[in-house]
Amino acid sequence: MVFSYNWLQSFFNTKLPKPEKLAELLTMASFQVERLEKKGADWVLDIDILPNRAGDCLSHIGVAREIGAVAQLKIISPRLTCLGRENEKLKSKSLVEVKVENSDDCPRYTAMVVENVKVGESPKWIKERLMACGLRPINNVVDITNYAMLETGQPMHAFDADKVEDKKIIVRRAKRGEKIISLDNQEYVLDESVLVIADTEKPLAIAGIKGGTRAEISRETKTIILEAANFNQTLIRKTSRKLGLRTDASLRFEHNLDPNLTSEAIELAVKMLKEIAGGVVDSRSVDFYPKKVLPKKIALDINYLNRLLGINIPKQEIIRIFKGLDFKLQITNYPPARLASKRAGEAGKLLAQVPTYRLDLNTPEDLIEEVGRLYGYEKIPAVFPSAVFIPPAKNSDILWEQNIKDMLLSAGFYELYNHSFIGDDEAKLFNYSIHELVEVENPVSVKQKYLRSSLIINILKNLKENLRYADSARTFEIGKVFGSGANGAVKERKAFTGLLANQQAKPADLFYQAKGVIDNLLGGLGLTDIWYDEYQAGPEQSKVSIWQNKRIAEIKVGGEEIGFLGEIAPRILTEMKIKAGVLVFDFDFEKLVKLSSEEREYQPISLFPAAIRDLAVLAPTKTKVEDAMRLIGAAGGELVADIDLFDIYEGAELPENKKNFAFHITFQTQDRTLSSKEIDALMAKIMRVLEEEGWEVRK
Amino acid sequence: MEINIQRKEAIEAIKTVRNLKDLDAVFKRYLGKKGEIALVLAGLAELTGEQKKVIGQKANQFKREITEAINGKKAELKELALVESDDMEWLDITAPGKKMSLGHLHPLTLAQRKASEIFQQMGFEVVDGPEVESEWYNFDALNVPKDHPARDMWDTFWLRQKKLLLRTHTSPVQIRYMEKRQPPLRIIAPGRVFRYEATDASHEINFYQIEGLMVGDDISAANFKAIIQEFLRRFFNKPVSVRLRPSYFPFVEPGFEIDMSCVVCAGKGCSLCSRTGWLEVAGAGMVNQAVFKAVGFKPREYQGFAFGMGLDRLAMMKYKINDIRLFYEGDFRFLKQF
Repeated sequence: MVFSYNWLQSFFNTKLPKPEKLAELLTMASFQVERLEKKGADWVLDIDILPNRAGDCLSHIGVAREIGAVAQLKIISPRLTCLGRENEKLKSKSLVEVKVENSDDCPRYTAMVVENVKVGESPKWIKERLMACGLRPINNVVDITNYAMLETGQPMHAFDADKVEDKKIIVRRAKRGEKIISLDNQEYVLDESVLVIADTEKPLAIAGIKGGTRAEISRETKTIILEAANFNQTLIRKTSRKLGLRTDASLRFEHNLDPNLTSEAIELAVKMLKEIAGGVVDSRSVDFYPKKVLPKKIALDINYLNRLLGINIPKQEIIRIFKGLDFKLQITNYPPARLASKRAGEAGKLLAQVPTYRLDLNTPEDLIEEVGRLYGYEKIPAVFPSAVFIPPAKNSDILWEQNIKDMLLSAGFYELYNHSFIGDDEAKLFNYSIHELVEVENPVSVKQKYLRSSLIINILKNLKENLRYADSARTFEIGKVFGSGANGAVKERKAFTGLLANQQAKPADLFYQAKGVIDNLLGGLGLTDIWYDEYQAGPEQSKVSIWQNKRIAEIKVGGEEIGFLGEIAPRILTEMKIKAGVLVFDFDFEKLVKLSSEEREYQPISLFPAAIRDLAVLAPTKTKVEDAMRLIGAAGGELVADIDLFDIYEGAELPENKKNFAFHITFQTQDRTLSSKEIDALMAKIMRVLEEEGWEVRK
Repeated sequence: MEINIQRKEAIEAIKTVRNLKDLDAVFKRYLGKKGEIALVLAGLAELTGEQKKVIGQKANQFKREITEAINGKKAELKELALVESDDMEWLDITAPGKKMSLGHLHPLTLAQRKASEIFQQMGFEVVDGPEVESEWYNFDALNVPKDHPARDMWDTFWLRQKKLLLRTHTSPVQIRYMEKRQPPLRIIAPGRVFRYEATDASHEINFYQIEGLMVGDDISAANFKAIIQEFLRRFFNKPVSVRLRPSYFPFVEPGFEIDMSCVVCAGKGCSLCSRTGWLEVAGAGMVNQAVFKAVGFKPREYQGFAFGMGLDRLAMMKYKINDIRLFYEGDFRFLKQF
């Protein structure tokens, strides 16, 4: 809210600190002053009133009270005239009747009739103050109600009494379908959830939010009904949201206000109407206030205060601070014997009676905050805790995530952090059915309508952008993905996805590059027994796949599938305008972590030399390396320590539909040097087995 | 005896020789046909008995030593000649090296690792929580009641499913952790959070926070000040100072806003800190007893502090990044700088 420096000054006889100094004081002890600006002879302060203080500080009096407490200045009582005393001379009968149907909706309703009002322009000083605070002057009556609100924090409303049917104010819920035209000429259709101020006929105003045109103040208005009421905060908040109507009044009501404020505001407005608009008050006010709100009492243990802040504040200092906040105090001292067992510092209890406008103060901690900020947080020393030494537990998810990232870093991958959202277009492109996705109820745009169910989509989008100035890419991301579970539950899991793309390389080469990366990575995670299985489309994957047919493998550890490796289907790439071969691997991060292990076991290095023999074999084109290796391993038995494929060749010189595999076969054992006779025999056996397959061993 | 003096001279001469030619001269002088040794040996004939034997032995020892020294020097000079030869292929040491294609970790990963490492050294455990949350964990348990204006402090993404939402802060992790543990406890929880708002250079719909929580018998605001100051000093590698201002978050009381002296101007005032000398880095406070009540702790049995920092903001200040959106665009030209 914007405040006028001059206005704030008017609450003090002493001169306030200069605007910059005042702004700094408030920022450090109360609220952040976001902007300070000179406006004519005045300064305006834009102060970020904290939400818990909206009840008392969205007002000049509230901020003046803060200044009084912070700068230790005495505030002049803002009460101008005392309505009570004046009342004695007034007619006993009020000129208006008020009926509140439900005191939960409206705990207090104060109304006052002012007659003989001359509606016109406001004096300059009122207009200046309103404008300084960002309000547009309208006429003296409306301006005075606004002025009273800015000073006291209590929203007010003025009705033209002659337009109020039967001079009767009824505070009630609207009827379904009931309509009102607001002061800014908007029509609202109401229902039972909306509280209205009505006469015997129709609504006059939406309670606590906006007035209507029916009883609007005009040049001809002579008699007004002034309203200062207190409304249920939740009700006002809900209505304001529902109607999409936020006003200065609704803002204050939805943060809750002290019901005791209404009479103060009425007093101020009435005095101003008399002085400025020639108003005459000739009758009593009507005050519906069935349950008077009394000041709260909060007990505070000074030991606790010092223990929570970690500092010893002298009791006298605490008392001074509380008195500066207009608290009434009762002080009890502990018997000295009990003091001895407590830590150094003054013990004792305070019982503080806090003013009703401090709706934010309810607990001892609330009082401790008052002391802390007004004593000065800068006086709290920085002291390391003397805590019990407990080594922090290790989080294995974080550890493995770190390991994976480091390994990919050394394999040349860029790490991505993409958005967690995808749009309709992508959902369609990737053939997601909407019920599998988690939909955001209030998306920022249609492009962010769903939560990502896979990291692949946004990684591909990212690739498209980067291919504008790069011809290849290696990227990965680890992040949460979401799916729709049974009974409206959301399944959330961590995924780990990587991508290799190249505009020149053959996709098959990329496949083997990716496989190499994965083998290194999984080896580094301590996974053994890794193998690649043909992709088996399950019934749930029967729809068109994002993977290129026959270029997709399931990555398995033992019997468990932990991820996929495959080429992205041309359909997707064309649609996304990606001109490169793209290989993607996609892991279930949680499965991966579960199988990872830091355990390693040393295998003694053989003291006996290894013998390496080469073997070239011509096999049909569709023969799998793995099958060839399995045959060699089985035939060679336990003396075969390693089989290493060093070449695959297909070419014109070879017979049609044949390819050549070349292997290094390593023979070694722990207990002796193998003789060449032994090895020759094994090689012969291997060759025989391969030839039995119909393959040609090249000698 | 004369031979001893000559020995010292000879060794010295060999040591100071700079090239093979000079070394040859030394050789000739001592070991040549008419060299000093030859002269001594020739003179032996005139000596007899014991004297002949002693001098002969000494002369031979001298000969051995000099020979050894000269051979050593010769090898050294030859090696040197080879290294300094102009025949070697010239190498331009300023030409760029052949790089291994290393990748790049995201700056938020780097910042998160750094932060986690510092807190772990101070005994904090790193914990995790879900990104999709219920109203209970994100709001109710944190003392943010339904239909309360305090909820407006967080612009929330709601899901179509059963009153679920995307967590607006990492604070729900506090609740989840305390439900299962008893104090004393010390945790940090880094993670992704979401806000329904328009994106610009300082706002994103998803970003990262680090939540911190320390609870015990007498954990105080003074303790918090020490921990946060130590963290910031280590994170920025600068002797920053910290100040606490009053603030309001329903899950703490008292509540603080944490300012750090500007990392660029050290408090003098510059464009980064809008001339104030201070940068807002965190929201914090003493855990509200209502939160302890929500997780089932006895009232006022424990006390402690909690804080939440924007990781993106910390990283932006550390690496001087001026636009938060860069983190989520994945542009290689940005990423490869880290």
